[in-house]
Amino acid sequence: MSAGDGDGGGRIDRLRDSMVALTEASAGERFLIAFAALALSILVGTGIILVSGFIATCRTPVLTLGGQTLCYDPVLVFDRLFLGALGDPLSGGWSPLNPQFAVTLRETTVLVFTGLSVALAFRAGIFNIGTQGQLVVGALASALAVLWVAPLLSGVVGTVVLIPFGLFVGAVGGGLYGAIPGALKAYADANEVITTIMLNFVASLVALYLINAYFGDPDSAANQTVPLPDYATFPTVLFDPRLDFSLLALLVAFVFVGGVYYLLEHTPFGYDIRTSGLQPEAAEYGGIDSARTVVASLTLSGALGGIGGAVYVLMVLGNFQTGIPSYGFDGITVSILAGNHPIGAVFAAFLFGVLKSGSSVVDFATDVPPQLVGVLRGLIILFVAMPEFFRMAGRRLASPGDGETPAPAGGADDD
Amino acid sequence: MLILDEPTAVLTPQEVEDLFGVFEELTEQGKTIVFITHKLGEAMNSADDITVLRDGKNVGTVPADEVTRNDLAEMMVGREVLMDVDRPPANPGDTVLSCENVVVEDERGVRAVDGVSLQVREGEVFGIAGVDGNGQSELVEAITGLDAADEGRVRFDGEDLTNARRQERTDAGMAYIPEDRQERGLVMEFDLVGNGLLGSQHTRPYANRGRIDWDRARDHAETIVDEYDVRPPNADVEAESLSGGNQQKFAVGRELARAPRLVVASHPTRGVDIGSTEFIHDRVNDLRAKGKAILLVSSKLDEVQSLSDRLGVIYEGELMDVVDPDAVTEEQLGLLMAGQRPDIEVGGLEVSG
Repeated sequence: MSAGDGDGGGRIDRLRDSMVALTEASAGERFLIAFAALALSILVGTGIILVSGFIATCRTPVLTLGGQTLCYDPVLVFDRLFLGALGDPLSGGWSPLNPQFAVTLRETTVLVFTGLSVALAFRAGIFNIGTQGQLVVGALASALAVLWVAPLLSGVVGTVVLIPFGLFVGAVGGGLYGAIPGALKAYADANEVITTIMLNFVASLVALYLINAYFGDPDSAANQTVPLPDYATFPTVLFDPRLDFSLLALLVAFVFVGGVYYLLEHTPFGYDIRTSGLQPEAAEYGGIDSARTVVASLTLSGALGGIGGAVYVLMVLGNFQTGIPSYGFDGITVSILAGNHPIGAVFAAFLFGVLKSGSSVVDFATDVPPQLVGVLRGLIILFVAMPEFFRMAGRRLASPGDGETPAPAGGADDD
Repeated sequence: MLILDEPTAVLTPQEVEDLFGVFEELTEQGKTIVFITHKLGEAMNSADDITVLRDGKNVGTVPADEVTRNDLAEMMVGREVLMDVDRPPANPGDTVLSCENVVVEDERGVRAVDGVSLQVREGEVFGIAGVDGNGQSELVEAITGLDAADEGRVRFDGEDLTNARRQERTDAGMAYIPEDRQERGLVMEFDLVGNGLLGSQHTRPYANRGRIDWDRARDHAETIVDEYDVRPPNADVEAESLSGGNQQKFAVGRELARAPRLVVASHPTRGVDIGSTEFIHDRVNDLRAKGKAILLVSSKLDEVQSLSDRLGVIYEGELMDVVDPDAVTEEQLGLLMAGQRPDIEVGGLEVSG
């Protein structure tokens, strides 16, 4: 009895120790951990594909074993999911400009913005679930403003003026929409998790109403605005213009990654954000105005989400449509995968982009139902995110006195 | 067997005496008591045998009635300790900090500080003694700007700073050594470079045109580490990894590096080893000699008594009396701390300078 207890305690202690050790893992070690997790998730995913492949019935099994038939080929599934998303780099004649890779990068570009949005708020100790709503508001504001101004301009001048203008309006729209939960938290003590979730609904429903009632395209049955003129959308560089992906937009995303990194690590305001996120009481002691920091960081976070929305409108849609995919919610996972680090967000967003784009390739190339592909995607994200979750938990275990610090405050290492 | 770990921090001297009485009754009944304390006097008064631990090692066990305070202190530090430093008499100058009828209400509307008036002058240490939780923290917060006084005024160098923000007070020359270094004074997950910047992140020369000068911040942190003998001598370690004494030395060093006019020190040696305590006491005496004003809050009577020039006793948010720390006895202080005014004259000093 007592021996059993001792073992249990020892195991718990060891688990605890390894979780605490995880908090001290360097960026390189965390990359290795992430890759190991990826490999493990593929292994588990293979098991699931095999089991469901034996259960399912199909006309053309890939393997017949005794009386059993295997319908799905796990190797093919993962090959399509990853290599397909990149446009088959291992087969001959691969060009980085291939259409599937363009889809991957397109998803990545928008997710970099939403990931940055969530990460910035996380670093300030704020859980911004409202990036989705801020993205919708930014997208709508950007589309309407560009449609309004576009007739005054044309050609190259139009592009040079309208793209920055559209991004700016998106930032202002998203920023103001982020400032609302910020002010509510700072001055009315309202929990930002609740308010941002609620404001997501408000954003999409108000957008739906506005498009229905005022700004909709009268010639279209769908809830959307009239298309933006071509010169008001992101010009595609190198890639085929029909692919809705612009290297320029990806470049803008990288500029923002650098900007957020610089802001956090090299400016007094970034220091305020990080201090408030890690230890609010020390921030107060250090002369940091917590209310102002909360409002400012949620505004900035909202602005990044809004720019993501503007990019989605100006690069992908070419107008505003209701029912925008859940980039904002995916941004939460991107941020967690990245350890809330702006540069990590690029890699996490790319992984997400691969999975999103790869899913459609799997759908196309195999008989595996889309639901099962969704399970595999979720599994990969879960496995890769788990070490980061453990890291956050480990930080709490390492310093039990910090019970009041919000869990997401476990920011990345200071470089 | 009964084990007590630092039970006396929140007791008045009289209550400590009572506790020791209970110890004696219990030991007479044949019970065993392990009493852990960092106060030398308590160990010598209450114990039969004293075991000294240093850096987790057993330094030795000695019978309590054969050992002197200096011997014990030496065992704890590992070298000779000068317990009583002769100080030149105070030479107070202009009033730096002046509180006038300061009232602070806590969140339930109870008056945690109830009309406190005091002045701290250049070149003197004004001590505040009291049992923990009698309004000391709230008073310090109203002075340093973590909270604002609900009534009354706080003046600094004649200027009304009652509602000034914390940063303005720091910039005006107020340094603050907080009682809780792990919650307030240091960001545990920042390295010492980042911690050295706390409170100066918006001030030149560390912040210049919206950019933090990390090289300068590093130099600053390394200077503090050097001057205050912080171990390990490495500005890149996280504050979390330092021992309590070294954390406190760093926090004290950072605050004193601001070249302040006033230093508010709240329990500056709580939970700090005796070597670091001695070091911090020396710094307080240095500041006094340099003509700085110091407000010292501590629940350690020997600390406030030996360092202060004037000693205010706080009880339930009110300043009971301001006494001469050299003339007052521990019993008289104890009565004041318990809210009773002793009949005898305790060398009362005027509140204002």
